[in-house]
Amino acid sequence: MRRAHHSPILSLFFVLLFAATAEAREVRIAVLAFQGSERAVQDFEPTIAQLAASLSEHRFTMVPLDLAGISRAVAEKSVDFVVTNPGDYVDLESRFGVTRLATLESRDRMPPTDTVGSTVIAPNRVGAPKRLADLAGNRLAVVAGDAFGGWRVIHREMDDAGLSPSDLAGLVETGFPMERVVAALREGRADAGVVRACLLEDEIARGMVGAEEFTVVGERQAAGFPCRLSSRPYPDWPFARLAGTSPDLAKAVTASLLSMAPVGGRAWTAPQDYTTVHALFRQLKIGPYAHLARTTFGGFVRAHWHWFLVAAAFVGWWIVHVARVETLVRRRTAELTREIRERERAERAARLHREERDQFSRLGILGEMASNIAHELNQPLAAITNYAEGMTRVIDAGRTDPAFLRDGARGIAGQAERAAAIIRRIRAFVRRREAKRESLDLDDVVHETLALFEGPALRRGASLEVRLAGALPPISADRAELEQVLLNLLQNAVDAMDGAAASGSGIVVSTSREHDTVSVAVRDHGPGLTPEVEAHLFDTFFTTKPQGLGLGLSICRTIVESHGGRLWPTNEPDGGLTMRVALPVPPEDAT
Amino acid sequence: MTESPRPRIMIVDDDEAMRRSMTFLFASVGLEAECHATADEFLAALSMRPRPGPGALILDVRMPGMSGLELQRRLADQDFPLPVVIVTGHGDVPMAVEALKAGAFDFIEKPFKEQYLLDTVEKAVRRSREVLTRDARRRTIEERHARLGRREKEVLERIMAGKPNKVVAYELDLSIKTIEAYRASIMTKMEAGSLAELARMIATVEPGTGSS
Repeated sequence: MRRAHHSPILSLFFVLLFAATAEAREVRIAVLAFQGSERAVQDFEPTIAQLAASLSEHRFTMVPLDLAGISRAVAEKSVDFVVTNPGDYVDLESRFGVTRLATLESRDRMPPTDTVGSTVIAPNRVGAPKRLADLAGNRLAVVAGDAFGGWRVIHREMDDAGLSPSDLAGLVETGFPMERVVAALREGRADAGVVRACLLEDEIARGMVGAEEFTVVGERQAAGFPCRLSSRPYPDWPFARLAGTSPDLAKAVTASLLSMAPVGGRAWTAPQDYTTVHALFRQLKIGPYAHLARTTFGGFVRAHWHWFLVAAAFVGWWIVHVARVETLVRRRTAELTREIRERERAERAARLHREERDQFSRLGILGEMASNIAHELNQPLAAITNYAEGMTRVIDAGRTDPAFLRDGARGIAGQAERAAAIIRRIRAFVRRREAKRESLDLDDVVHETLALFEGPALRRGASLEVRLAGALPPISADRAELEQVLLNLLQNAVDAMDGAAASGSGIVVSTSREHDTVSVAVRDHGPGLTPEVEAHLFDTFFTTKPQGLGLGLSICRTIVESHGGRLWPTNEPDGGLTMRVALPVPPEDAT
Repeated sequence: MTESPRPRIMIVDDDEAMRRSMTFLFASVGLEAECHATADEFLAALSMRPRPGPGALILDVRMPGMSGLELQRRLADQDFPLPVVIVTGHGDVPMAVEALKAGAFDFIEKPFKEQYLLDTVEKAVRRSREVLTRDARRRTIEERHARLGRREKEVLERIMAGKPNKVVAYELDLSIKTIEAYRASIMTKMEAGSLAELARMIATVEPGTGSS
């Protein structure tokens, strides 16, 4: 912050002025003394004199102030008019409603009003920056960070060039007067410096700076502008009145200003358009547009409310969408899970049902068969008994009637043959179909049978362990018959385990190869076989089950033997029973 | 009285082996058997010889065509005199009970002990003899009774009612002498030695002749 320099001479001048117009009403004019009070007085003394001359009823007082002082004076309404740089004016206009009455013009310039601009200079040497963008990484000398022509004008151009002050190596503030910027460059404290337009030319003209000493960075053309520029031109300083200043006075002052004869080529003209200044402040988000730079969320939202609305709408839609999708996915997943579970249950129920039906139909057939067997065998057996009994009686009676006895013996033989025929017929019925031999992998058959059997086993809570040997040589067998045998053995195993306490070990199904046979073993952990049971294990109609028919194992053995194999039980030393089926490997495949 | 003819066992069974082996068994104890494969065949044979001698009928319940039970009911309707022994397969007990209610002599469940069959048949034969004897006697009495004249039957009826001769004479408007003559004639014709014997004879006949 700079301070206005109140020298004794200036004070004296004020005192004299005050004395001369003591009885007149005092009109205070604040003037931005950016180059010191003396300079300000020097620059605007002719204006004050003009006003004093044309409006003698007023006593005009010039109050040189720095930027902060002007701001404070306007805020306190301690002045009536203010003369300041375009940047400050725009700030005061927006903050305090000051209104420009006239704009300074320079008659020796074209155009006369847009005379404020800046030039970036750099020592003229190889590698000096050419464009503003080249300033990145350089130190930039400026008079002050809040100077309009001394910095902000260039700040905007840098912004346009995509360069932010933070891209610079640093901003070197030299303070006024602006010649210090030149000094800083000469002293090497900065790589480039910002000066007001025409300062370079003025200094060269004064012989203070060599014509080729400095080069201009980011030079641009401005039609009719007599100096080299790095920025666009802005309107010159305005003469403005405060909001509370009397309109009559303002009108009189304006008329006086506009009629003032140029002094040193400078005069006042009609107020110019300051929108370019506004644009600068808006772009840099400073002064009246500082709220843009503060970028508070609220401000940002206010500035971009329509985008926020769109974004909010989108986010809202997205949230709804995501929630909807989530819900749908969850619902679908739940439905799917339920469906899968239901289908599994249905399949399991269907499998159980099918198995039960198969079992029933098999039992039904066997039951029917058993009844038929009983009835059919009864006849020849009763007949044989009759013959035998009759013969016994004849012999007991001491009668020797060879013809009679021969009849009896023939009858017995005939009935025995008939019984045998019945048995043959039953056998054929049990088999029901032609055995079909095919090349089979025993592991395959076991695997498929287990798939059929899983249901009943799981339902009864028996655990099932499967140990397949793998890579078994093929056997020639009837798949359905082997499956029937395995199902029977598995069913027996489950039945055997039924009474047993649920131990860790359940049913173990394993396949193996021994020399020229492959075998499958079904091991249970039930009570095993007593010697009496073992003796009759394969007898037809021998059963240990309440509902049993005593046909299962006898049919199994028949099937296995018809395959040239063997079926036998082994009581395991650590409890339980193993039923083993060994089947021959056809010689051409056996090694 | 009359000499006893050899009993004859009749077998109706669809199973030939059963028929033949039973025939053999009966032959071993000296019984003659006559076999029929179906109920119809048996009925046809029966119609040729309506008055069979002593014996028994062995009926298999389960037969194609007319069943054993149906045949038994038919025979009961036509007063077939021989005892009927029903042979049932295992599990046919309710059928056997029905057969017994319908008047079967006994039932034998297959498979049977041949001794039981023989014992049953023997009992049946004995029963058949009794029935035949009783039937024969009744037929004799009926024949004698049929020889009585109208007046003799009227007198016999009143005598059996316990009426003295003079009451009978009064009721029939005849003389006591005439009643006494009829009475002597009745005794002769009925071959009765005493009034008590005559009464027994009439009691035997009465249920059968009362209505005719």
